[in-house]
Amino acid sequence: MDMVFDTVSIVKAGQFLGAGISIGFGAIGAAFGEGLVGGFANCSIGRRIGMASPYTRTMLIGQAVAETSGIFALMVSVLLVFGDFSANGVCAWTATLSAGICMGLGALGSGVGAGYPALEAIWGAARQPAVGGQMTTTMLIGQAVCQTPAIFSLVIAFMLMFRNCVGLDVWPYGASLLGAGIAMGFGAIGSGWGGGQAGGAACEGAARQPHLRGPLTTLMLVGQAVAQTPAIFALLVAIMLISIGPTEGTILTSAAVLGAGISVGFGAIGSGMGNGITAEGACNAISRESSTTKDMLTFMLVGQAVGQTPVIFSLVVALMLMFITFNIPATLVGFCALLAAGISMGLGAIGSGWGNGATGAAACKAVAMEPTQRPVILTLMLVGQAVAQTPAIFALLVAFILMFGNYTGPVTLPAAMALLAAGISMGFGAIGPGIGNGITAAAACEAVGNRPEERGLYMRTMLVAQAVAQSTAIYALVIAFVLIFVV
Amino acid sequence: MESIGVVPRWIFDLAGFHIVLNKETLIMTWIVMAFWILFALLATKQTRLIPNPLQSTAELLIGTWDDLVTDSLGLSDRRYFSFIMTIFLLFWVSNLIGIIPFLSEPTSDINTTLSLGVLGFIVSHYSGIKFKGLKQYLKEYCEPIFFMMPLNLIGELSKVVSISFRLFGNIMGGSIIILVVTYLVYSLVLPPFLYGFFGLFVGTIQAFVFTMLSLVYISVQIR
Repeated sequence: MDMVFDTVSIVKAGQFLGAGISIGFGAIGAAFGEGLVGGFANCSIGRRIGMASPYTRTMLIGQAVAETSGIFALMVSVLLVFGDFSANGVCAWTATLSAGICMGLGALGSGVGAGYPALEAIWGAARQPAVGGQMTTTMLIGQAVCQTPAIFSLVIAFMLMFRNCVGLDVWPYGASLLGAGIAMGFGAIGSGWGGGQAGGAACEGAARQPHLRGPLTTLMLVGQAVAQTPAIFALLVAIMLISIGPTEGTILTSAAVLGAGISVGFGAIGSGMGNGITAEGACNAISRESSTTKDMLTFMLVGQAVGQTPVIFSLVVALMLMFITFNIPATLVGFCALLAAGISMGLGAIGSGWGNGATGAAACKAVAMEPTQRPVILTLMLVGQAVAQTPAIFALLVAFILMFGNYTGPVTLPAAMALLAAGISMGFGAIGPGIGNGITAAAACEAVGNRPEERGLYMRTMLVAQAVAQSTAIYALVIAFVLIFVV
Repeated sequence: MESIGVVPRWIFDLAGFHIVLNKETLIMTWIVMAFWILFALLATKQTRLIPNPLQSTAELLIGTWDDLVTDSLGLSDRRYFSFIMTIFLLFWVSNLIGIIPFLSEPTSDINTTLSLGVLGFIVSHYSGIKFKGLKQYLKEYCEPIFFMMPLNLIGELSKVVSISFRLFGNIMGGSIIILVVTYLVYSLVLPPFLYGFFGLFVGTIQAFVFTMLSLVYISVQIR
């Protein structure tokens, strides 16, 4: 039997793929989060047998909120299975596929994240039965805010599905829509997950110190709002790709819009997680040492802001890819160069964002332990974060070289794959060193909190250890350079 | 929806230069400045021991920021205080102005945030040279080892990029979300809450973050 490739069947194929991806990935997060809540609810009931029914009630409320993101994914999935979007033109196949990617991945982070406030609320009620009823409010606020990235994804998924693109070509406009889906889908993971952890820490703190519930809620909300910045950047790029995406252009234009989506989407994962972890650390810190409540907000914001630098690099690379006309031949080599630039920056930002967040969290805790050492801890945090930023800067460097390189050589498959491999090498290669450097710096900050008089020693040890951990990023950089310039 | 990405401009030639001005940004920035000048005049018209509401608002703002600046820099310097306070007041109202119909945020233009980011960069490095001396200032670029210099340099420059793009991205993203959702729900129910969250809450936080970072960059240079 012959296969038919008319608009209706191509769009249907896109819809079905999108539907599978949407509910497949979307089911991961919500179920994970709900499982966590259920587990802790059972532990709590084990601790206080008589309280089984209130804990079960809180568990069910918490799980219902965590379920929301899964329901969004189901909704998009059902629309894609039963709807017919072929009236929107042939581009609708990438539009519907990318709506599935956007919603499925976008629901992942928020689903897991919404679990943390609920589990801490139940666990906290078991630890401190007197506060039981009040925990539910803090829990619901924390969950609602970490659900925001999933709502962003839902908005983008709807925009993609119902976008009328009659008469537009799949290349480049369809590619632009795919880029939008990747940007928002991946971009929502970190902010949702990290925001949930911050909410969890606030609930835990409110159980330890019920009188600090007000300041904890404020700190949590501010921390979560800042942790949402990476998702907002992803949303910004996604909407730009949908509403002012290129309607005509060469193969290069397609590569550029895809690269832009990958860059900001992946780049947002690390910074979103990192910002959330920092907010978690700050909430933990004030619930241990309430006298530092006043300074903690400022300290947390500085730590978070540095942790956002990698996603801002990604945003800049994405904006450059979208708005600059590159002086590159429109061949497979040029296509791979621009795509690789996006991959390098997007993946390269994950580790540094995450690591910087861990450092910020440890610094917040150290300030709570040793409030008099605030300036020392701030310096140590900033130095440690600056070194942990280096892998992201390497990735930025490689992305720039790929975007503004001179590709006059013969167009061969190996030449194209070498450029793509350079992006992959630097992108993945930067993840580990970024996280590792961040953890080293985090330990140094905590050490100052324990024994401040040895701070010179910590700084030296930290820098030596980071230099060693950095070496793998340098290997990746060297291979990327060899692939670009030599091969 | 069609208004995304459209920037109203004034374009003219003056003394041999081709000048492009972003009309909306300029007008909105002047509105913000006019607001604060008016506020300052009204608040200080009759200063009394028992303050009227305007005067106490002004005292609260100034007191809070005076404490923050003195605390971060470790010294009381009115020049740094007025610089930092000005940034905050300008960006705070700039971020909030979008909740008034027909007005838009000047901070959703990258030129506004980038110029203030560059200004903060210049002030912090000038203070670094002034407080530590040129030799010590340059020496710090070679820490921990001398060949880290290029990375330290990029690291410093990336601060300008990150501080200005953070504010721009948040405000621009917020206003676009409001626009898109308003369009999707036919202006029903949701927009006021979105204005509350993105306009008031995120706007205030981001103005604070920008100002605090400028302050921290200065304090890292002079300590």
